[in-house]
Amino acid sequence: MMYPEPTNIWQSLEFSSLGIYIAESTWAFPTLETFHVIGLVTVIGTIMVMDLRLLGLASGTVPVTRMSKDTLPWTWAGFILAAITGGLLFISKASSYVINPYFLWKMGLLVLAGLNMLVFHFLTYRTVTHWDEGVQGMPFGAKVAGVLSLLFWIAVVFFGRAIGFTLGFYY
Amino acid sequence: MGDLLFNFTEWLRSTMLVELALWISDTSLSFWIVTHFWAIPIFQVIHILAIAAAFGAALMMSLRLLNIAGGNRTVPEVGRRYFPWLWWGLLTLVVSGFFMIVGEPVRELINPIFWIKMALVIALVVLTIGFQKAVVRRAETGGATWRASGGVRASAFLLLILWCLIMAGGRWIAYAPV
Repeated sequence: MMYPEPTNIWQSLEFSSLGIYIAESTWAFPTLETFHVIGLVTVIGTIMVMDLRLLGLASGTVPVTRMSKDTLPWTWAGFILAAITGGLLFISKASSYVINPYFLWKMGLLVLAGLNMLVFHFLTYRTVTHWDEGVQGMPFGAKVAGVLSLLFWIAVVFFGRAIGFTLGFYY
Repeated sequence: MGDLLFNFTEWLRSTMLVELALWISDTSLSFWIVTHFWAIPIFQVIHILAIAAAFGAALMMSLRLLNIAGGNRTVPEVGRRYFPWLWWGLLTLVVSGFFMIVGEPVRELINPIFWIKMALVIALVVLTIGFQKAVVRRAETGGATWRASGGVRASAFLLLILWCLIMAGGRWIAYAPV
């Protein structure tokens, strides 16, 4: 037998036929990475547009609700693409990723970015009708959400890239 | 395809690029990048964030022309919002890319996919300049109710595809048989 019997869930993923296929194929991993990049730049590119609007730094003539409607479907489309391709990349080397601190940091920051979005959407956004057209007088909550979103996503990119340089370091 | 790339690499190996790459690798800047573990990853992070800014801008501009998003503003207004981000993003890509080449000159310059990517980047820059001029001119003469023609909309879409091909090239540089 080529692969040992899995002793935990990560090895079960890694030694699944799909995991082995992605790991052994010459084209699968780079192709998944390519779509992962296209997905994540779509996420971050559209989120940046929204964040700059929340900070009142760009697109001042666009109401916040309108900007949200224009960008959010693309943010989600990009996120779904990045999540699916990221999941497939993950299972091909699952046991190496779960012990990589940069991978764990990246997952943690994705959670923080998600929480930031939830707080913004369910608390701050409730009063959006009062500041929909605003530029200078954006509420504190909206500005904090914009800054945190930019910082979290920059950090996600950093840790994502760091994984690729440190995968063999930990065992 | 594999054979074609292999022959391309063989040809690159017979050119002055080999001496150039070796000369670059002897510079103190190259040495600094090679001896600082985080230098290359950080240039790559800047590179990716700049793609996000520029591609995001190109996407929002295209969506406006395709009447999918941004319809509350005229095309020239939307253009003034996004074209500067596209160009500053591209400039950041060139600068961060330059440092990545200096850090790994052989991996980049003796790489067929690198040169295919560079050709696509030049095509993107030339086509985007023409596209921007044509769109702004037509939109301004067309007035507030101007709607992009089929040709403009097809170009907007094809430029996004070209961006994706360039990103694919960027990722596959790492996997080319050098």
